[in-house]
Amino acid sequence: MTAVKREIREIVREEPFMRGRILAALAEGPHTVPEIAEAIGRPANEAMYWVMGMRRYGWVREVKEAAVDGYFRYQAVAREQRS
Amino acid sequence: MTDYDALVVGSGIAGMESALKLGDMGYKVLLVEKEASVGGRMILLSKVFPTLDCASCISTPKMAASIHHPNVTALTYTEVDGISRDGDGTFKATIRRKPRFVDEAACTGCQLCETACTVAVPDQFNADMVARRAAYIAFPQAVPKKAVLERAGTSPCTYTCPAGIKAHGYVSLIRSGEYEKAFQLVLEATPLVGTLGRACYAPCEGECTRGSLEGTLPIRRLKRFAADRHYQAIDGPGVEVAPANGKGVAVVGSGPAGLTAAWQLARRGYRVKIFEAAPVAGGFLRLAIPAYRLPAEVVDQDISNVTGIGVEIATDSPVTDLEALRRDGFDAVLVATGTPLSTSLNVPGEKLDGVVSGLQFLRATRLGSAADLTGKRVVVVGGGNVAMDAARTAVRMGATETTIAYRRGRQEMPAHKTEVDDAERDGVRFSFLMAPVEVVDDGSGKVTGLRCQRMALGKPDASGRRRPEPIKGSEFVLPCDTVLVAIGMAPEGSAFGGRCASNANGTLVADPATLQTGVPHVFAAGDVTTGASDITRAVGQGRRAAHMIDRWLRGEPLAGFEMDEALPVVDKTKVLTRQVGYTHSTAPESASGSTVKRDFAEIEAPMTEAEALAGSSDCLDCGVCSECQECVTACPSDAIHLDMREQIEEVSVGAVVVATGYKLFAADAKPEYGFGRYKNVITGMQMDRLLAPTRPYNTVLRPGDGKVPERIAFILCTGSRDETVGNPLCSRFCCMYSIKQNQLIMGALPLAEVTVHYMDIRAPGKRYDEFYESAKSMGATYVKGRVAKITEKDDGNLILRYEDIEHGGALVQAEYDMVVLAVGVQPNREVDRLFSGDDLALDVYDYVAEPNEDMDPGRTSIPGVFVAGAASGAKDITDSILHAGAAAAQVAAHLESLKVPA
Repeated sequence: MTAVKREIREIVREEPFMRGRILAALAEGPHTVPEIAEAIGRPANEAMYWVMGMRRYGWVREVKEAAVDGYFRYQAVAREQRS
Repeated sequence: MTDYDALVVGSGIAGMESALKLGDMGYKVLLVEKEASVGGRMILLSKVFPTLDCASCISTPKMAASIHHPNVTALTYTEVDGISRDGDGTFKATIRRKPRFVDEAACTGCQLCETACTVAVPDQFNADMVARRAAYIAFPQAVPKKAVLERAGTSPCTYTCPAGIKAHGYVSLIRSGEYEKAFQLVLEATPLVGTLGRACYAPCEGECTRGSLEGTLPIRRLKRFAADRHYQAIDGPGVEVAPANGKGVAVVGSGPAGLTAAWQLARRGYRVKIFEAAPVAGGFLRLAIPAYRLPAEVVDQDISNVTGIGVEIATDSPVTDLEALRRDGFDAVLVATGTPLSTSLNVPGEKLDGVVSGLQFLRATRLGSAADLTGKRVVVVGGGNVAMDAARTAVRMGATETTIAYRRGRQEMPAHKTEVDDAERDGVRFSFLMAPVEVVDDGSGKVTGLRCQRMALGKPDASGRRRPEPIKGSEFVLPCDTVLVAIGMAPEGSAFGGRCASNANGTLVADPATLQTGVPHVFAAGDVTTGASDITRAVGQGRRAAHMIDRWLRGEPLAGFEMDEALPVVDKTKVLTRQVGYTHSTAPESASGSTVKRDFAEIEAPMTEAEALAGSSDCLDCGVCSECQECVTACPSDAIHLDMREQIEEVSVGAVVVATGYKLFAADAKPEYGFGRYKNVITGMQMDRLLAPTRPYNTVLRPGDGKVPERIAFILCTGSRDETVGNPLCSRFCCMYSIKQNQLIMGALPLAEVTVHYMDIRAPGKRYDEFYESAKSMGATYVKGRVAKITEKDDGNLILRYEDIEHGGALVQAEYDMVVLAVGVQPNREVDRLFSGDDLALDVYDYVAEPNEDMDPGRTSIPGVFVAGAASGAKDITDSILHAGAAAAQVAAHLESLKVPA
């Protein structure tokens, strides 16, 4: 967590690029943001921007309840289910 | 008589209130809002204190009323550029309506444009906690709920492309994994996607803003990637063609200009036939550019796009009689025959066997009829791209020694640097500052050498390059067996029997804008009119010619319009200053660069998908909107209009209300708290967004990793009551919004512990103190004492160091999951630029001054100008509404006083 925090604009700009990697990671099943970050090899705070951006536009959604460790898990939304 | 009784600048809660009150009184009001929705900050809040009423529920009726009130004209996405007072006490205001690029009447707010958009930017309406798109609706409750396209201008890559290809657009599509759409976007300009992906000299890359960082994006190769993917998977171009319109166009020449024009015309429903003199179609693409740079099958694939939509190509069909084409039923003719002739050396011995023009040599090589150069010594005369191609081809044809002789120096060579570098890598030698004076033979007509004279560079000539001047007595013979002459190319301007006028250099005379020749139905495009240029310019000419021919055949004027009316190019300096730092390039080490080969197999390897994605992801989105056209395609109402432009209007008004609100304190100005560096330190506005129904996350989460926070600290008075940041003022509502957030967090996260670090709690309003007590009773802990410093742990938790004043002044450390900085407010200095002629006085803290604040609230230093809400000082919502009401009353009194006879 102590790695240099990049500019928000720079991180956000990469969302379309990261989308494929994140969806590939979620193909195995729902993951938390730190798990997604580990799967794509990027910091969790950056994965947070991408996952939340994808959530906003219907690519992923949260599994209903947060796990006991305090993290929600996110799952991919099938293209035909995206509104 | 004024256009409006009052102008209200700013549509936050104060601006809306003043406008509505004045409207209710019967005054005509112009309400101007710079953002895409009315509502200001209040609409973005979760709830209001102390009632915990929903901020949206309270705001939206006023927002709707502001838009629909019969006496209020509300202009959103509009700026007031200036206001000046007239002699009669009224005002003139300059209003700038920024283009939405969306027809407000047609837009239904469906958000399909937003979903389709390929550019992600931080969402200012969610305090930068999540991305929005370049095409966006400000927020779910926006009034009007109409989309906006954020366009800062035309991206430099797109702006500079002579072919009119939307480079930024296809880069952003590839970044989104939309490879076929990227191909289709290039097809909108030209069918030569694979060709340009290989042989274009990529002026776009020369203008790429990334070039001033770690290096340009591989824009050309990305185009090739899209083409490779298309041709591997899809048969045919996959485009729609307009129904046949019954008209025919003959295109003479099948080079890049002719093919592009034919493509554009056929797509518009014209019957198009291309007449090509050579045995193969493609012009220089097939007969000049060597196969190692541009394989024949790639050109064939691109040409199949053209024939695939019905264009007929007749090879071995030279045209000499343009009128015959007319008689054959073609309504218009495009001449695009390029520059097939070579400029001669004009030296003795040029007719010897063994002296060949570079173009002839390249053509013969591509047609398989070139002489074997095995064991030969070759001298190529010239310094342009054809010379480089000829030299590199000679190497591949077996020449043991290939030398380029050029009369100027390396810096002056007209060839592209990459071509020169590649030639050198292939083993080509360079002899600079020498000019041929004679081709020498062995007495039997066989070339043995090239007599040259050494040159020195003098003053620059008309081309800007230093003029070569001969050095007396410096002649020498460069031994060789073959001389390839590549010093220039020229069109065959006299090929049409003088039917079209030509210039002294052989180029056809055509209007540079309309491309129409002196014969109305004959147009000319590409190198035949411009002289030798390059593929991309020829493509652009072909595209323009098609457009002009189409207009001419439809009886429309050819002048008085712009074909590609682009927005001005974005200032690259401004692009770079959007970020403080650039830490990143995702591009992996490319394994696909050029390698030294001595055959005609394509040198440049294709990009892998990973390389293409990484390369495209480095795009800085200079223009913000990439012009990828996805929103245009997605919009079911045809509401997207990229040709919209700003409109400037002048209005006269009787009075002005300044309701420009406040700025939030920039939390990173308190570096000891780590905002902007520590992932889980946020501002009070960000927490309000997390608590709002339209929140950026699914609930209150740490932005650092998505964890539901269990221990949350608030630090009050961040940037207010703080002389160290130049703001001694209390911001008046930070205590209360923090208490509100305390309560809401404890409601949303029942297990969360909330601790507030404060200097003193200011809760002076009606039921405010009760609200504070309620928060304490719910479990919030309030610790008196300034926080000195925050540090971040590896797990993202935060250590606060503070003095606990109420418990003996002990220095304490405490660990939290998340910290909220209750930032204060600052004056909005944008009011400084509003007025000309009169100075709008500010108080000592730079808020709009009310000279007689106690007895005459709302009045400013300028008669007829009033201030409403937080523009005159920090106020909570209730006080802002009261103040706005007072301002409205002041305006009414002022307007009525003007009616009283003096």
